[in-house]
Amino acid sequence: MTNDLNIQPWRRTSLFRKLQVLLAIVVPLPLVMLIALLAGLDLTMSFITIFVPVQLLAAGAVGYFSYGRRGVGDAALIVITTFLSMFVLILLFSVLWSVVSEGFKALSPQFIYQNNKYVEPTTSLEYGGVGHAILGTLLLVLLTTIVAVPLGFAMAIYLTQSQSKARNMVRTFTQAISGLPSVVSGLFILAIIEATGIGRSGITGAMALFPLMLPTVARVAEESLKLVPVDLRYAALALGSPNYRAFFRVILPAAKTGLLTAVLLGLARIVGETAPLILTLNPNSSTNLNPFDGGLMALPTYVYNYLASYYDTSQARAWGASLVLLVLVAILFGSARIIGRQKSSKSKGKK
Amino acid sequence: MTTKTDFAMKAENVSVWFGERKVLEDVNLTFPAKQVTALIGPSGCGKSTFLRTLNRMHELIPGAGLAGSIYLDGQDIYGEEVDAVSVRIKVGMVFQKPNPFPTMSIQENVLSGLKLSGRKIENAAEIVETSLRRASMWNEVKDRLNDQATSLSGGQQQRLCIARSLAMNPEVLLMDEPCSALDPGSTRRIEETISELRDSMSIVIVTHNMQQAQRVSDLTAFFLADDNTPGGVVEFGETQQVFHGPIDSRTNDYVNGHFG
Repeated sequence: MTNDLNIQPWRRTSLFRKLQVLLAIVVPLPLVMLIALLAGLDLTMSFITIFVPVQLLAAGAVGYFSYGRRGVGDAALIVITTFLSMFVLILLFSVLWSVVSEGFKALSPQFIYQNNKYVEPTTSLEYGGVGHAILGTLLLVLLTTIVAVPLGFAMAIYLTQSQSKARNMVRTFTQAISGLPSVVSGLFILAIIEATGIGRSGITGAMALFPLMLPTVARVAEESLKLVPVDLRYAALALGSPNYRAFFRVILPAAKTGLLTAVLLGLARIVGETAPLILTLNPNSSTNLNPFDGGLMALPTYVYNYLASYYDTSQARAWGASLVLLVLVAILFGSARIIGRQKSSKSKGKK
Repeated sequence: MTTKTDFAMKAENVSVWFGERKVLEDVNLTFPAKQVTALIGPSGCGKSTFLRTLNRMHELIPGAGLAGSIYLDGQDIYGEEVDAVSVRIKVGMVFQKPNPFPTMSIQENVLSGLKLSGRKIENAAEIVETSLRRASMWNEVKDRLNDQATSLSGGQQQRLCIARSLAMNPEVLLMDEPCSALDPGSTRRIEETISELRDSMSIVIVTHNMQQAQRVSDLTAFFLADDNTPGGVVEFGETQQVFHGPIDSRTNDYVNGHFG
């Protein structure tokens, strides 16, 4: 071993090769634009029809010069994956951008906390807001979660920890419910409302959301419990642990992150649901925190109601509410992640 | 409650099934107190399975069946009134792959057995130190007892698992190929630990390593299963005799590396 301080880590790619790659990345774009201009083609169309093959050719050529035939396949794969991921990213960001840019017009502090009690379709955006719908959505999500998460976890525990023969039936059943269209879930509750004569309220809305959240939570929780190595369970049992203590002290802590993900995916499943709520909620423009009685507005139904309107201000309100919904989801997810991380770091740092 | 016996454990006419398939037939072995017994034999002969019957871990596998009796302190551990949990408290086990609890620190791992079996821990620090010392790893980890167990090397993790079992003060310690995933250095340290422990407990160790069996054990049982027939004990006796003057020709072939 030498102690020469001038020794540098290997450069795995030479400057020349980097130049080749750079050329392959940079050249095709202006080339295609030039062709399009000269031939008088529509720029977007030519981009889709010509650019991809040209880029493929360029990358393939560089790949061939660098590594021979093996390089062509590599280069093609890189180009294709890059294009496909860019395609997805552009789609995603254009959706996000349209919500953010349109929604921002309606956004103001009062839009967050006021309700729409005295708002007419033509009322200007300086009055009224989505406060009641935010509270309504939170209330619905909370009601559904406190029932669906314990039940979902219980199902997951049953499916992974017991040896019962009924497990396959339960699993098939869960999969069947997870394929249930949300509007059907709403229709079912609507039928109950019509048959029994109970009024529409927060509870009926939560009942319609429940069959959507339960299978998601149960299945994701089951998968995360399955991922805990069976060795750990055996280790605990071999130390003389009863089954339940092995589960609560060893398996559950090991699956904690997965279980948190299960809750988050369950929330994501229901927080934006519209169809079942249209059928089971009584839309309302004032704040109502009583889940057992009276009308309730949720953000998705708010968007639905106002987007259908002819008036510009109403449509702006709908966009604003969409943005608020997006932010709300982000806050819910972010805080859940932070809570999860704090708990795990606490157990790590218990000195 | 116990009758004093000169053996720690005794297996009588033990046969084992997995579903319809019989994997062990009529095993009779006596494990003397405070001695090390090695179980050797080719893969698939049922020695690990037999080991797992000694602390009732075998029954955790779906479809597992068993006949015969296994005595611990003169009491049949498969008796109707005996709880599997109480057996596992007295008979500790170290697995083939190190399996410390990943969500716990080193110290919590050592104490995990006591917590999991629902005992009160009065002098935690003392138990942790004694157990880690007995597993000859106290000096390596005494300054980082609160680190995650997964931060240890493979060999250290396995010794932590031994310490975890020792904290329970078992009468018998079962080891299922404890060194098969470890390097020679770690293997040597575990063997040293075994020879230190033999004064205070009986040890049953499954191993594929002939030299290891000769180094650490007082007694050796040779298991063998012919094609498609249940396995069984071919020869059982003093380690010296099994390796240097076996009675059965199949034992001779195996210990000298002619097959298996």
